[in-house]
Amino acid sequence: MAGSLVSPSLGEARAFAGNLAALAPPVLLLALWEVVSLSHLFPEQVLVPPAEVFRTLFAMTQSGELQRHVGDSLHRLSVGFILGAAAGLAFGVTIALSRLAEAAFVPLFLTLWQVPVIALVPLLVMFLGIGEPFKVAIVAIASFFPVALAAFDAVRGVPRAWFEVGRVYRLSLADTVWRIVVPATVPAVVTGLRIGLTRAWVVLVASELLAADSGIGQMMEMGRQLFQIDVVLSGVIVSGLVGFAIDRGARAIEQHATRWRAA
Amino acid sequence: MSIDPSLRLPAETPNTPVRGELAIANLSKSFRIGGQLRPVLEGINLTLRPGEFVSIVGASGCGKSTLLRLIVGLDDDYQGEIRLDGERVATTSLDRGIVFQDHRLFPWMTLEQNIELALRNTNVPKARRAQIVAEHIALVGLEGFEKAYPHQLSGGMAQRGAIARALVTEPKLLLLDEPLGALDALTRVNVQTELQRIWMAQRSTMLMVTHDVEEALYLGDRVIVMSPNPGRIRRIVDVDLPHPRDRRSPLLHRLKDEILAELTAAPVEPGGVSDNLVRLPAREAR
Repeated sequence: MAGSLVSPSLGEARAFAGNLAALAPPVLLLALWEVVSLSHLFPEQVLVPPAEVFRTLFAMTQSGELQRHVGDSLHRLSVGFILGAAAGLAFGVTIALSRLAEAAFVPLFLTLWQVPVIALVPLLVMFLGIGEPFKVAIVAIASFFPVALAAFDAVRGVPRAWFEVGRVYRLSLADTVWRIVVPATVPAVVTGLRIGLTRAWVVLVASELLAADSGIGQMMEMGRQLFQIDVVLSGVIVSGLVGFAIDRGARAIEQHATRWRAA
Repeated sequence: MSIDPSLRLPAETPNTPVRGELAIANLSKSFRIGGQLRPVLEGINLTLRPGEFVSIVGASGCGKSTLLRLIVGLDDDYQGEIRLDGERVATTSLDRGIVFQDHRLFPWMTLEQNIELALRNTNVPKARRAQIVAEHIALVGLEGFEKAYPHQLSGGMAQRGAIARALVTEPKLLLLDEPLGALDALTRVNVQTELQRIWMAQRSTMLMVTHDVEEALYLGDRVIVMSPNPGRIRRIVDVDLPHPRDRRSPLLHRLKDEILAELTAAPVEPGGVSDNLVRLPAREAR
């Protein structure tokens, strides 16, 4: 909306300036990294210079190794997220609608929510091994909580006034659900899904560091064990960029789903 | 009339029974607050003639809004009788429409979709619906805003949209719960004029609750003055002036002074506790 108030060229100029401004800190960070590695404050094997890291990244892309690790991680992320988010939605809606379910499950839910998901890794590894089921499970657990909480709040937050409008016009239950409850809860639920997804990515990479045979986290762990710090730093950069892309993509979907909202 | 009689709506035939007669007899309502029954309405008796516009004024807490919720059927826990054309009110019905103070248009639907939603549970054929919606958008003067979302409308426009939604089902009785309460003074005067025009075009029975005595008199054939704790009818004022009305009419001004004096006077209930006294704030009295 604000963009329409300024002339298009001015708007474009502002957007361009914004993009430029967003580039400055990463460039500065790279420069700082370069300066520190040139200063030989740390041994070169520990603080690998940026150019070296980018060479490694390029080589790993050429060989397809990087794509394989990222692909494996993303695959786990999507399977685990679908399972965890679906369960979280169902659970959140149930405790929002049933006072009995709320009384029964919410204390346990809130307690488990306080446990860092990473703390479950040793347990899960004992039960599920270090294969795919373990990583899918960890992603599912990480996405379950934020999604369940968002769904609960969203359904509870539908104003009574809107249900009254439905009653005045004698809408059927199906119409009440599809035309009032679902659209009213979509914004909060989509936000919960986005938070769940980004949180799950972080937890996945961390658990791959601890126990895995492939994936971006395991790639970093192998690099550490073989003292290939360039590989570790490549992993840092790639996992950051992937997380950033996931967040941006989810935000775009979020904005599209709530475009009726006041700007 | 050259219209084929079989095509006429029942309402247009001369022999239809009265349409939109609201009869309230001995109505009382209490809320349970902290384990104690607290009466909010007591001994309300009121009959609205079909096609009549009646306004209700009174201080906050006199149960005006509760009365409308009972009539529209959102609350069925009451003693006494509420009947529309002889039928006892027990739940909501498309015969009774309501406009709330907050427009309550759904923000994810366009104006058109919001109004059409009211027709979902009617037997209006799907093919006719778009046309009926368009007619009602025109009735409230919002042509060109069919595809607008509520946040793109001004307060007055959104409230006119809510009036169109309430009228689209052709209710026998339209209830208006401080419909203009959230609007600024100038918009308010404009929508009042609009509302009068809409009522004259539509001629359904209307019952409006308001804080604004001037508004009540300008629109109402009768003005019900209510007193609080518990809500009772204190006085019924006939406004014997034809519509459309002139705001400058001396009669309206004289009645306004009378009603304001009545509302700001000490309550007449015997044994009324004086610190329980609710005075109409000067801001609302205007």
